[in-house]
Amino acid sequence: MPIYAPTLPPAPDLNQGQPPALVLMRFDLARLWRQKIGRFFGFAFLMVLIVKLTVIYVKYLLDTNAALRPMQDFAKAVLSQGAEFQAGLLDPASYLLWFLVALVGGGLVARDTLYRVRPLMYAHPVSPRDYLVAKLGFASALPFAVLLPFVLLPWAMSLMVAGLHGPVWPTAPLRLLPAVAVLSLLMGAMAVGASAMAATPRAGVGWVLGLVLGTSALASLVQGLTGFVGAQALNPVLLAQTWPQLFVGMDRPFMGWFPAALGTAFHIGLWTFVAARRTLPSEAVI
Amino acid sequence: MISLDRASLRYGPILGLSPTTFELPDGGGITGLLGPNGAGKSSLLQLLSGLLPPSGGEVRVFGQAPFRNPAVLARLGLVPEGDRLPSGLRADRWLRMMGELSGLSGEALKAAQARALETVGMADRAHLTFARMSKGMRQRIRLAQALLHGPELLILDEPFNGLDPEARLGLMDLLRRLAGEGVRVLVSSHILSEIAQLTDRILLLFRGRLLAEGTVTEIRQLLDRHPVELRLTGEPLDLARWAVEQPELAALRMEEGAVVLSVRSPRDILPRLQQAAAAGRIPLRALDPLDLNLDAVFQYLTKDHA
Repeated sequence: MPIYAPTLPPAPDLNQGQPPALVLMRFDLARLWRQKIGRFFGFAFLMVLIVKLTVIYVKYLLDTNAALRPMQDFAKAVLSQGAEFQAGLLDPASYLLWFLVALVGGGLVARDTLYRVRPLMYAHPVSPRDYLVAKLGFASALPFAVLLPFVLLPWAMSLMVAGLHGPVWPTAPLRLLPAVAVLSLLMGAMAVGASAMAATPRAGVGWVLGLVLGTSALASLVQGLTGFVGAQALNPVLLAQTWPQLFVGMDRPFMGWFPAALGTAFHIGLWTFVAARRTLPSEAVI
Repeated sequence: MISLDRASLRYGPILGLSPTTFELPDGGGITGLLGPNGAGKSSLLQLLSGLLPPSGGEVRVFGQAPFRNPAVLARLGLVPEGDRLPSGLRADRWLRMMGELSGLSGEALKAAQARALETVGMADRAHLTFARMSKGMRQRIRLAQALLHGPELLILDEPFNGLDPEARLGLMDLLRRLAGEGVRVLVSSHILSEIAQLTDRILLLFRGRLLAEGTVTEIRQLLDRHPVELRLTGEPLDLARWAVEQPELAALRMEEGAVVLSVRSPRDILPRLQQAAAAGRIPLRALDPLDLNLDAVFQYLTKDHA
């Protein structure tokens, strides 16, 4: 009987799984879920949300309860009104959210750099584009997911207690959700770009905070030196606050549509480009 | 299975791998990629595993260019150099992600993970975090990762670095077993003894150039400039008297109780030596080839090309 050469068992079916970008996003989400950082920020944002809902109920009472009528003038002076109030629903898009994005997003790419995971991923059927989409998607989905309740819950509560004439406009989600999408993409791109430049997750956090605060300071410096207000289009914190104001049609937003669009496109383009360059296979040396 | 046709790799102005040509056949077996640090081993492995495109020439794995080619990447497994893994992460979770990146899911993924862990002997310890694993255990998990999708080609870059002798032997046994099952294993190392223990078939790289390819004996025979050294143990004077009459003799050195011959074309002289010893014409008690090993081959080749 001849001796046959050994043959491998049939290979498993490799076409059943999800797209690689989705797998990587799920993995990052599961990792975040297991960390304690989520509990701290969950508590902090919950408190802010409860205050927002309380304010909406107070405004409803002021409008409908005759006994509180004498306080209306005072309340109008203290609480924001109209479009400014609608835009104010997204107040968390300030330093607290930036801090969360820095803490989580700063490690997204840097962790893989530290542990040299990317060569392994690229040796699987994962392209650099899949990787970038996953990281950018996750870093952007995080602020979007945090801000989503701040849009929907006040809106739903206002509709429930006061119908179409409540403190929150019935059309508010249509105006605020696009703003949330834009500012989330801005935050995600900056976080991933900064993380791609760092060698460790901690350094990544530093990079994100440094970039956000550094460009904000730079914008203020340029404005102070030249008197050119448009320089604030470089300020990512201000950009994130401006988009809700623009979408709800506030009379005096921090800046106009054109500088806001230009500044946001500049940041998203630049940091996505940096992240794409830094996550190429040639950077992922074995 | 693998063919390189004048494939080279540049990192900007630095030449990582000079134009290199070789082929590895289909089927199982172990090939050692040997060379000192900076010889171009990792560059070659980067080309083969599709991480980088060649700067010149052509690389083909399974008949196709591997760079960003899912059809090729799905059939090869890579174990890169290094030992850094996310310390707080559980090995089974990491393996699951790697399996999903290969396109596995559901029951097929579970089965593949169980099989890979069984193969590397880590089935009962995969729930541990990487921080709680020894270096050898982490290396086995990295190997399991490469085996999840049932690759036909397994590429390992310096897999024995930092392993204790027991873990090293265990890993060698495992690689031999995989090769026996039909997997083509390509393993790089800068330590001669590791490769010599693992396989006889080598690719020898030095300063970004492929110096030799084949078995140690085949390569040694090609080294005409370096006569083979044979130590004949017995009565030195009688042995020397017989040796000087041989036309292949290049040099002779007397030692206590032995004589060391430097001979060209040992294939010619060895049958005559055997006949003389059998006929009792020379008092031969032992015959030791001194430089037919990988160490000597490596020394000669690198000296010639330095």
